Amino acid sequence: MDKLAKRLREDAAHIECAVSDELDDRIRASLENIKPQQPAEPRRSARPPAFWWASSLTGVAAAIVLIAVLNLQEPEPAIPTTEPVAQQLVIPSIEWQAETAVLVSPLEQEFEDLQSDLKKAEEALREDIERLF
Amino acid sequence: MIEAARKGSAAAFAELVGTYRDGLLRFLLTRSASFADAEDALQDTLINAYRYLHSYDAQWRFSTWLYRIAINNAAKLKTADTVELGELADEENDPLSHCIRHQDRQNLWLSARRRLSDEVYTAMWLRYVEDMSINDIAAVLERSLSWTKVNLMRGRKTLEVELDNLATDVKSKAYG
Repeated sequence: MDKLAKRLREDAAHIECAVSDELDDRIRASLENIKPQQPAEPRRSARPPAFWWASSLTGVAAAIVLIAVLNLQEPEPAIPTTEPVAQQLVIPSIEWQAETAVLVSPLEQEFEDLQSDLKKAEEALREDIERLF
Repeated sequence: MIEAARKGSAAAFAELVGTYRDGLLRFLLTRSASFADAEDALQDTLINAYRYLHSYDAQWRFSTWLYRIAINNAAKLKTADTVELGELADEENDPLSHCIRHQDRQNLWLSARRRLSDEVYTAMWLRYVEDMSINDIAAVLERSLSWTKVNLMRGRKTLEVELDNLATDVKSKAYG
């Protein structure tokens, strides 16, 4: 046992408190007046198992009828458009008055340094945890 | 005993929790603003445990389940006039100070309450006083295993520094 754990145990042992007879009587009286709840029984299904088969079959039949009706209808003639949609869009041109900053190299270096620091910190933390527990 | 208590035997339940009562009261005392609050929290904890005994899952230790309920009850009792753990610095009104047997040195749990957050303090207490496993502590606090490990380690580091500071104070007092 290490020094800190030993000290914590010793200091906890110096905290003196016990359940008094008065509190004990109070707790016992409270317990006598209540009953533990019983676990709720699983709810029984009101519908017979055949109901689920019947409803599933009805659903499937309705879906087949709907598909058949939709496929039997004649397709509407497509209205030809005079102009493609893409051409109708007007994209405003913006003239940027800025120079390209060359920041890629220092940022990459910074990113690598940060990753390296993070990895070191993670390893230190893992070692500490393994050592303790 | 658990089965007898589940069927409604208050006596069986009282016997079942008999070994945990003093420990629970001591634990609740460290989190309460007064001794009466700690006693009320203990009573509520045991009543709730008895009432909802059917929900106890035997895969956990019984004490783990009890401490979970105790923490919930202590939190419920935190009314407007109840202060946070870290603010219980006034030793005159602190129930924990009154229950500490005379020591030549400062009790580290009093310092811990000032230095650690509520949850970390609880984790440290469960680990070093109640001897709970990391799994059980995580279950009591409803936290992940990694959270529990990391925060126990943080708590330890904080208290190690505090322990060093206390040792320095003692030395400086001794040498005038």
